Amino acid sequence: MRTAVFFCQVGDTSPLNVDSVAKYASNLPGVEHVEVLGVRPPLDPPRIAERIRTVRIDRIIIAGDQPGFFKPAFTRAMDLATRSPQEVFLAPFEAWGAPGEDAEERAKAIVACACRGVPFTLAAIPAKTPVHPATLVIGGGVAGIQAALEIADAGKQVHLVERTATLGGHMAMFDKTFPTLDCAACILTPKMVSVGQHPMIDLITYAEVEEVSGSPGAYKVRIRRRARRVDVSACVACGICAEVCPVRVPSEFDAGIATRKAVYVPFPQAVPNAYVVDGDACTWVQTNGQKCGACARKCPKACIDLGEQDRVEELEVGSIIVSTGYEVFDAKRIDRYGYGVLPNVLTALEFERLTNASGPTGGRIVTRTKQYDKRTKQDVWVFQPDGPSPRSVAIIHCVGSRDSAYNPYCSRVCCMYSLKFAHLVREKLPEAACFEFYIDMRAFGKGYEEFAERIKAEGTHVVRGRTASVQMVGEEMVVRGEDILQDRLLEFPVDMVILAVGLVPATGTEELAHRLGIQRDPDGWYAEFDYDGNPTETQRGGVYVAGMCQGPKDIPDTVAQASAVAAGVLRSISSGRGSGHLASLTLSQIEARAKTLSRPT
Amino acid sequence: MAIRVNPLLIDDLERYGAEDVQKCYHCGNCSAVCPHTDETFVFPRRSMRLLQMGLERKIEGSLEPWLCYYCGQCSTQCPRDAEPGETMMSLRRWLTSRYDFTGISRLFYRSPKAEVLAMVALGLVVGVGLVAWGLGNGGDIRVYDGERAFLKSHHVHVFDWGMAAVLVGLLGTNAARMWWFIMYRDKESRVPWWLYVKHVLLLPYHFFTQKRYAECGERKPWLLHLALMLSYVTMLVLIMFFLGHMQSDTWHWQAHLPGYLATLGLLGATAWMMRGRLKKITPLHRHSHESDWVFLVQLFVVAFTGILQHVLHRTGQPLAGNVVYVVHMMAAVPMLVLEVPFSKWAHLVYRPLAMYFAAMRREVLRAKVPAPLPAGARRVQAA
Repeated sequence: MRTAVFFCQVGDTSPLNVDSVAKYASNLPGVEHVEVLGVRPPLDPPRIAERIRTVRIDRIIIAGDQPGFFKPAFTRAMDLATRSPQEVFLAPFEAWGAPGEDAEERAKAIVACACRGVPFTLAAIPAKTPVHPATLVIGGGVAGIQAALEIADAGKQVHLVERTATLGGHMAMFDKTFPTLDCAACILTPKMVSVGQHPMIDLITYAEVEEVSGSPGAYKVRIRRRARRVDVSACVACGICAEVCPVRVPSEFDAGIATRKAVYVPFPQAVPNAYVVDGDACTWVQTNGQKCGACARKCPKACIDLGEQDRVEELEVGSIIVSTGYEVFDAKRIDRYGYGVLPNVLTALEFERLTNASGPTGGRIVTRTKQYDKRTKQDVWVFQPDGPSPRSVAIIHCVGSRDSAYNPYCSRVCCMYSLKFAHLVREKLPEAACFEFYIDMRAFGKGYEEFAERIKAEGTHVVRGRTASVQMVGEEMVVRGEDILQDRLLEFPVDMVILAVGLVPATGTEELAHRLGIQRDPDGWYAEFDYDGNPTETQRGGVYVAGMCQGPKDIPDTVAQASAVAAGVLRSISSGRGSGHLASLTLSQIEARAKTLSRPT
Repeated sequence: MAIRVNPLLIDDLERYGAEDVQKCYHCGNCSAVCPHTDETFVFPRRSMRLLQMGLERKIEGSLEPWLCYYCGQCSTQCPRDAEPGETMMSLRRWLTSRYDFTGISRLFYRSPKAEVLAMVALGLVVGVGLVAWGLGNGGDIRVYDGERAFLKSHHVHVFDWGMAAVLVGLLGTNAARMWWFIMYRDKESRVPWWLYVKHVLLLPYHFFTQKRYAECGERKPWLLHLALMLSYVTMLVLIMFFLGHMQSDTWHWQAHLPGYLATLGLLGATAWMMRGRLKKITPLHRHSHESDWVFLVQLFVVAFTGILQHVLHRTGQPLAGNVVYVVHMMAAVPMLVLEVPFSKWAHLVYRPLAMYFAAMRREVLRAKVPAPLPAGARRVQAA
């Protein structure tokens, strides 16, 4: 088949030497014409059609970072030239891992496969490798828990490494799940307990992955167990240590709206249910044993060892599941919303804790009140269970999402959790007015649209239009925004503002990607092997991604993906063979395989 | 009448500078940050919407572009980089070309080459004409003032008044067309006659104070703009009424002192504005259309040659003075005859008119019963 290859870039070409790839392409069998068109070239279908006719081309390959962008022009040109418009193939570099390590070789392989009409993912399958039966799960949120349980229930060993002192992740902080309004803890805590008690799960909390070596199927992982300073097996969580501890710091579990002691249990349902000493806050640790030490003296089981050091241990595993989750967007970056300055502007996670029955106010929705702090001799704004209820609440969507200045992507869950918040506000404070400011309501899942309609019917004012600012006007907090459907500019005096902050990859995502040798998307999330066909594996064999760390998703999708990952791991363990590292494949190997796969022309 | 859609409107507007109208996804951020948006005039999103829908006639009749002074807040905070501020700027250019019935404005905005060529051609005609006139009427190129002067001030004076008549005629028809588009063509846009009387003082008020620009965040651009405008008006008055005093061998402080001040103002303000555009200091400066440059460079050249011929005359070099005088006229005449009615200059008429119309429109719309508000919300009042 007489083939033409056109190179068109949407973005910057610098990571890749396109000319060298073009030269390679011109030597491929059947390639009659190669043209480098550059970045976002103006494409004129009649002129391309003329070229097609003069060179007598039957097939077109568009190569570039996102070649799909240019496909319509070439399809039209083929049609104009009375060739089959079906014979336009794409060689997408970005989707299949170039630029990445050895981008040029990869790009050549991608072009070679496209010229033979073979999907790259079919030709570029690394050789199978033997698989060690143990699995490492990094991250103990709902994704990690689900994957670990699936694999362990199948009788295979799992090591679950969690950075914080407890399992649970973000889901443990939530009050309700959308759209069913089920209690999040009622779904999650039984799973957490199962993990804690499972004979096949080795739960390693307060630890981090320090180094990964070895090859697919036989990884050696070095894990640093940070000093917990409390013996987990002995601690019965009686709480006497926390009673005597004099240090107060913001609680991570309560998203910073309440405080905890330096020795603490993250939340009452924590797994393992044992205390932990925060070395960064503990007076004894910070003064090298000069001061305090009250908890160790008072502990009736003598299980606190404040002098404990980090320990490093090595594990051998065949597969690694990455489920490191996300963090919320830092709302302080958008100063026009006044987060961090105005006391009653909250992020979604803070509101989640405020409305949670296990939160600092026992689930009562109140505004912050000023209180005199004797220790610092300053007024501080705190949530008190008997504080005043807000008379009106504004919820602002898309904070940090769908914005070229911050995150260009949609964080996918914010619309729905915002609607859930509106429901909770109206349920707990029927007298309060609640305003939702949205751009587009993305209610995409099963039952979501119905949920959105229900919230509107419940009396929440849903205003189309993202607000511009939250400001104090005298004593009032005023949200200013355009009501687009009514074409008018309005001001809303409110007592509380909830920012529906977007999601960003968890801190340490970049380092971990480096340690594991896996790639990340331009947005920072871990890159899956093939978005449509293989969304759980990565380019490195035996390393899987589950949950938010691969891209924003809601709880049902996270759980589904975690189970899918478990299926992939179990498949490789039971067959004894798993996929290897794509980077280990040479160009000639991919070429050879593409040749055998392609039908002789 | 039926609403007509022009699907090529955005493509057309691209030639006036707007590039990214299609990117807008209507979050409303721009309208809400705009310091000028009020209950009647919500923009720039409304204009973005009209453009995306191709409602040409509605845009022709819209006042919003003239109410925007391009502080750039909307463009800075736009989550889509859709540049609403630049769109408003381009709409002002587009509207200028619509108000002009001759089509010259449209030609100039869409083809900077044609604009410059026309300026040069007219400049040459003026130059040749002046030289021929000066020599043909017994003038001596070595004499600046008096009976044997190369360019006699009373001749230039008559010439100036003729030019002014042309100018007022053109600007007047353009302003009339603006009124027709905005205040009369559609039945619902008409207002009772007594409102025209009631608000008429707004015209000189906004012309001389440019108060609305001052409400646009920072005050510095307003001061600069005001200085330029006042200098320009001062100069115009001096030339139209006191040319004899200006162009004589004796000192007339009542004419010369304001003349020097105005020259300083013109040179300083244009230089400062060119610096801003070169360094791209504010959002306004990030996009410079060719017409913006023509405006500034031409004004600078006119002011500079104007003061130069004066200095040469005063320092006893009448020959050089006369040559520069001709050059000055070669720059000034195209500016007044072509730039003022057909290009960026025209906004000196449209801006105050727009404020005048807006006040009437506001009063009429306020009297109507508005749609109910959600509980607790309130309208944003005019500043």
